[in-house]
Amino acid sequence: MDLLANLALGFSIAFTPFNLVMAATGVILGTLIGALPGVGPVSGVALLLPLTFGMPPTSGIIMLAALYAGSMYGGTITSVLINTPGESASVVTCIDGHQMALKGRAGPALGIAALGSFVAGTIGVVLLMGMSPLLARWALSFGPPETFALMLLGLTTVTGLTGENALKGYISMVLGLMLSMVGFDLISGDARYTGGINEMLDGVDFLPVAVGLFGLGEVLAGADQVMRQEILNARYGLRDVLPSLADWARSRWAIVRGTALGFVIGVLPGAGPTIATFLAYALEKKVSKHSEEFGHGAIEGVAAPESANNAASAGAMVPMLTLGIPGSATTAVMMGGLMMWGIRPGPLLFEKNPDFVWGLIASLYIANVMLVILNIGFIPVFVRALRIPYSILMALIVVFCITGAYSQNNKLWDVGQMLVFGVVGYGMRKLDYSPAALTLALVLGPLAERALRQALIISDSGVLILFQRPISGVLTTLALVAVAIPVGRAVLSLRGGPRPG
Amino acid sequence: MRRADRVGAVLLLLFGAWFATVALQNYTYWSATGPGSGFFPFWLGLVMAVLAALLLVRAVREREPGPAWAPRGRGAVRFLGILGGSVIFVVLMPWLGMAVTTVLFLVGILRLLEGHSWPAAVAIAVATAAANWAVFTWWLRVPFPPGVLGF
Repeated sequence: MDLLANLALGFSIAFTPFNLVMAATGVILGTLIGALPGVGPVSGVALLLPLTFGMPPTSGIIMLAALYAGSMYGGTITSVLINTPGESASVVTCIDGHQMALKGRAGPALGIAALGSFVAGTIGVVLLMGMSPLLARWALSFGPPETFALMLLGLTTVTGLTGENALKGYISMVLGLMLSMVGFDLISGDARYTGGINEMLDGVDFLPVAVGLFGLGEVLAGADQVMRQEILNARYGLRDVLPSLADWARSRWAIVRGTALGFVIGVLPGAGPTIATFLAYALEKKVSKHSEEFGHGAIEGVAAPESANNAASAGAMVPMLTLGIPGSATTAVMMGGLMMWGIRPGPLLFEKNPDFVWGLIASLYIANVMLVILNIGFIPVFVRALRIPYSILMALIVVFCITGAYSQNNKLWDVGQMLVFGVVGYGMRKLDYSPAALTLALVLGPLAERALRQALIISDSGVLILFQRPISGVLTTLALVAVAIPVGRAVLSLRGGPRPG
Repeated sequence: MRRADRVGAVLLLLFGAWFATVALQNYTYWSATGPGSGFFPFWLGLVMAVLAALLLVRAVREREPGPAWAPRGRGAVRFLGILGGSVIFVVLMPWLGMAVTTVLFLVGILRLLEGHSWPAAVAIAVATAAANWAVFTWWLRVPFPPGVLGF
């Protein structure tokens, strides 16, 4: 029973006082970040990265993963009470969640979301635990061509799905790859694109870029939006929040379906929690006996997507941990953090760092227990936090961005980089480019380049080697299809003359 | 957004071309052992140029000017205020130290830009600076520039 022994090891790590405190910090901050409109899980993880340098990597990932899970819970509160999503994975919840609140059923809406999230989050971790070692073992046989093909697939699918504007998504991705070329080339030792600046020799630092794009950039982009919000009053006693038996009976299967769908979507590269919620809502509307109630406060319309996003956030960790390919923007930033701590995600992670992996898995179980307690018993606390004016929040985030960017290397140069990428992030958001695609590419760039060069070295037939081996052939073909569809559509629309609108 | 796309596409096209050219001229495209340091960047530059060209064609053919994207009025003031404030923060930090700069920045943003009351602005600023000091200086031992006042 390897699994049980590993899990016991994991819990022995997770139950140390410091790691418990980190998990608690993660879930509280995560719920807050999820609840506050204008900061989502990506910003949260980016902003907290600087804090993790002083601690062991295991404690760091425990905090970040707990935060990711927490943000999936917290987003619901805002969707239900204000009808503004706290983060993108709770957009769908607004539809029926807010209707329920208007009918005086805010309590059960939040309650079923928290319980559904708990079920989904826990099953998600079980699946993560069962699936990851198998996937990792399979991926151990990968050579350079497979590795490159996998990264290509990760990059192209994430990019095609993140933005509404696929062409600009690909441009953002290539820009990220180009940025990742800056600095020493590890194979030849050449210093590339440094402009003779010493600070550039180590490359574009990940931390200032992530903090700039997702912290400062997000604040700047929110600066010209007036956030005025009406918070619905509701009662949050235990009896008001716990769903009735009738609610429970209606939501049961919605939670199960949401969990299954969410996890699968989460594991797929490119489709994170947000897409999972949309699909889960659509599926539920189709199979429900009460489909006419959807849009008017159907409790399944809250239960299904809220379960799906939690399962998906657990699923999204699978490709990151086992293959080294993040499936979403948040896991991309997390993986950037892992690499800064000197941990290389991928098939070897489970063999080389069992403490890290199993400590993380055990902590996710604990985090979900903490979260369900927090999100059933302490709703008023988070509602009060929602009353913090955005103007104050934004000023605090800026201070945190500057402090965080400085703290990694204690250099003002990093703060400068952060400011530049803050402006870049602002521009990208305003003009429909994709900061998430850029970040993912920045993380994967050097790994992809090395894999491609190694593949070409062992190849007798140049780039065709990618198609000559079965696994890499399938993956490369999928990647090409993922590019071909949106780009083909763009080219076709050009031939059709000026587009209407 | 149409004009921003046209300008952006031209800049990205030039950037891609420059990137590919540098790769070929300054780095090795193919060495005796296989692809060199210029190989991957060259193709990246080329792909960027092609994508930017596509964007340019699309933006040129676009009839509608598209939605305005630049901030105006209050939004623009806020944008410039936050950005300017951050730059001043970074310039002052080595001279005044982390804590003092944080207080000045927050009071400036909250009182002057956002119109919160003096007591509220000062209280939030001091509390934040203290919390920041506790986490980063005391706990994480980040050596921030001490500044003239010594903390």
